[in-house]
Amino acid sequence: MNFWETMTGSDLTREWKAFEVRAAVLPADHRAAWEEIKGHLFPYGDFTGRNLMPILDSALGLLEETAADGQSIHEVLGDDIGGFCAALAGGEGARSFRDRWREQLNRNVARKLGRLGG
Amino acid sequence: MDDLTEMLKGTLEGCVLEIIGSEETYGYAITRRLNDLGFADVVEGTVYTILLRLEKNGLVQVTKRPSGLGPPRKFYALNDAGRDELARFWAKWEYVTSRIDKLKEGGR
Repeated sequence: MNFWETMTGSDLTREWKAFEVRAAVLPADHRAAWEEIKGHLFPYGDFTGRNLMPILDSALGLLEETAADGQSIHEVLGDDIGGFCAALAGGEGARSFRDRWREQLNRNVARKLGRLGG
Repeated sequence: MDDLTEMLKGTLEGCVLEIIGSEETYGYAITRRLNDLGFADVVEGTVYTILLRLEKNGLVQVTKRPSGLGPPRKFYALNDAGRDELARFWAKWEYVTSRIDKLKEGGR
């Protein structure tokens, strides 16, 4: 990654395109799961979403391998895609937007209470 | 048997280590092995996230091999750290099961 790519995120756009090309040849149910996985993983992204790239790559890899085996998406992921994504992103404790908001809220409340002398 | 998932959670990683320990293998085969054992609810996605964790913690050695059709498969074998972890798992399992058996028999 060179400086230009860091500033413009052009490498990310290129990687996204490559992902979508790979996803386009998957069977329909795997492709639907891919859309769902992307949606579930977004909250775990950092500011640019760069940290998600290797995670998305490995998830797509799993979809490709299992599609080649002829497995149904239910055999692969069961019915808990959200749980699968949480585990993929590093377990329940993975920092997400929500965690950061929660932290900020807690901090603000603590400060307000402190000011009231509570 | 239904609803085993919650109970299995802490032990599945040990089960996967044991399966990898007996021979180098890949995700799909591990899932099938667990299904054949009677853990029907275990899906490949679950095994896959465990394998990623084992890899991240440096307990397995990963080799990519081309498969007959489709993308290359990742094969997993235990390294020394993995074998230590597996031994620790069985020691913990021994401890937990002996305590729980005792409880069931009404001992103290």
